[in-house]
Amino acid sequence: MEREVRWYSYRFVSRFSPRRRGISRLAPYLLGLPAFVWLGVFFLVPLGLMLVKTLQECNPATGACVMTWHWASLSDAWANSSTIIFRSLTYALIATLIDLVLSFPIAYWIAFYAGRRKNFFLIMLLVPFFVSFVIRTVIWKFLLSSDGLVVHALQALHLVSADYQILGTTGAVIAGLAYNFLPFTALPLYVSLERLNPALLEASQDLYAGRITTFRKVVLPLCAPGIFAAFLLTFIPAFGDYINQQVLGGFANTMVGTVIQNLFLVNNDFSAGSALSVIVMGISLVGIVIYGRLLGSKSIGDFV
Amino acid sequence: MSEFPQNIDPAILRGLLSPRISRRHVLQAGAVAGAASVLLPSVAEAATGDAGWWAGKSKTGVLNFANWPYYIDSYNGRHPSLDNLKTTKGITTTYSEVIEDNPTFYQQIRPSLQNGDSIGYDIIVMTDNAIGLRYLLNGNYLIPLDDAALVNFKKNASASAKAVYANSGKRLIPWQSGMTSLAYNSTKVSTNTKSLKMAFDTSSSNVAKLRNRVGMLSDPIELGNIALLALGKNPATSKPADWQLAATKLRQQRDSGLVKAYYGNDIINELKQGNLWVGQVYSGDVFQARIGGNKNLKLMNPTEGVLLWTDNMCIPKGAAHPRDAMMAIDYFYDTSVAAVLAYYINYITPVPGAKAKLTAPTKGWQATTMTNLKKDIGVAASLITAAPEVFPTSAYKLKNYYAFKTQGEIDTWNEKFAGIPTGS
Repeated sequence: MEREVRWYSYRFVSRFSPRRRGISRLAPYLLGLPAFVWLGVFFLVPLGLMLVKTLQECNPATGACVMTWHWASLSDAWANSSTIIFRSLTYALIATLIDLVLSFPIAYWIAFYAGRRKNFFLIMLLVPFFVSFVIRTVIWKFLLSSDGLVVHALQALHLVSADYQILGTTGAVIAGLAYNFLPFTALPLYVSLERLNPALLEASQDLYAGRITTFRKVVLPLCAPGIFAAFLLTFIPAFGDYINQQVLGGFANTMVGTVIQNLFLVNNDFSAGSALSVIVMGISLVGIVIYGRLLGSKSIGDFV
Repeated sequence: MSEFPQNIDPAILRGLLSPRISRRHVLQAGAVAGAASVLLPSVAEAATGDAGWWAGKSKTGVLNFANWPYYIDSYNGRHPSLDNLKTTKGITTTYSEVIEDNPTFYQQIRPSLQNGDSIGYDIIVMTDNAIGLRYLLNGNYLIPLDDAALVNFKKNASASAKAVYANSGKRLIPWQSGMTSLAYNSTKVSTNTKSLKMAFDTSSSNVAKLRNRVGMLSDPIELGNIALLALGKNPATSKPADWQLAATKLRQQRDSGLVKAYYGNDIINELKQGNLWVGQVYSGDVFQARIGGNKNLKLMNPTEGVLLWTDNMCIPKGAAHPRDAMMAIDYFYDTSVAAVLAYYINYITPVPGAKAKLTAPTKGWQATTMTNLKKDIGVAASLITAAPEVFPTSAYKLKNYYAFKTQGEIDTWNEKFAGIPTGS
């Protein structure tokens, strides 16, 4: 509601204010200038350079590239890596869904029941993530190794056989992804739930909606923008992640990030590496647009 | 986003996104660049690395040394051999353990070298089988060393170390060498295993025994060469047709279920933690794991032979302290210093005379350092001299890696082997 009012007041000012002409008209663009420059220099230009490199042929020794309009690198990259791309999308999707399911109750509880200690619990949620990403993942490796806590506990309970292993499996990779990106899901969810007016929940119950109906018809729709943001913020980095797969996985669950890294660093094949990066970027962007059209909220900007 | 004004002037956007440089500006910029390039090579200078060039280089007392982790003696957070370099030669070393693997390090230093800038290090250490080192040599990015300054080296270096120096056009001097072979857990795998085939045997009985317990290195160079050995080929003289056979062998090994994953330097931890029972390893890591308490971890001496590699010191172009680097390189070939390094590093020293110094250290710095190091290592020097991993006996058939002659060969090799660790 509050947003609606702001929107109208803006329209009112911009349409009818006598100060519309002159500098005030440009003000929004001038204020946005740093953002445009940032976006251009650090996103659009590198993106363009990557596309250019895709079409070039590069000398692996010197890194010098010559433009040959080699469009085939894109189709080659797709042919070589489509399986791995689909695999990465699947892993990222599963990890994101796990995160949504796990972090919704956490965010809900903090938003509605943590009372004065909200900040404390939010910090508690984030504390493990003050440690570097790679180190956190390596610690998981110790936990999941054959000599580690988890496997030993499962073996002691006779739940798994003596040579049971977790490391190297797809399950370990997805678990790592879900763990590492949890705050990216929990925080946007928390923000949207925190904004939810508890009076609306009461009103729903006054109108004889049960707990489940209230959740389905009131809570979920109202925090849809939060879910949208949480999904994107988790899914996109998880899709391109290579740390979890390299530390926790094996060859059978290679993700696209690892392949790109190898193309650049091991094969020195800059053109193929760029081509695959362009494809991954393309899939992400097209996916975001479609997803935004289907499910998106106009107020995504409030969360991302 | 919904608040974004609709009536934006397209000209503003265009102006923001593509700063227009007029053709005149471009021409002016070109003219300036042209003038500068005329000014640059004004005086005929001695070529880098010539005797004349070296004559102009004097000691600064500073050295920046880039090396791999755990690759120099350490005691109480200090490096005794570098402290002794300061005491005896007056050179203070900034020692950086920044090299995790050859390809990444090469990619990190390449842009600076191409720009003609200093990479910030006076000595770097790279492996002879690395494609990056080949590029550095071919691109003439390494400074030919000052022959006259190599006193200890000429006196104490092994014949193979001298050959490395001569064959590289005086650009490389060995730091340490090592072997790549298989290691196995003797409680899980028969100790009589003497063939690399054990890790490649895809018969159902072997797969049942070792399913998911074999680890290989992800480096395509290591992977391809050991597979060639397992096939009974000599990697150094192998042909692309052999590479195809080796790649097929590796894919069979992978798809049979034997291989758990492909690793970097961390494979030794997988073996120590019991995740792997058989793994492709570097010799020194196995020796250190064993003296560190993992008594069941054994390095195989396969009938097919082991791969020998050498990590080499070199001075990159643009190095700010070449004379200090030169003095340090020769200092490491002092038999006492080499003995301390060998005692701690446990790879193969390029100084044969170090062996005698290990059991009978020179009084003073070396003896004190050895006593100190022993507190940490906990192993008698005689155990090091007796270790075949550190001082290989003739029982080890040492084989060289394939040496690439052209970029085409490198591409073919990568085509065959680089995709294996990622499942393609």
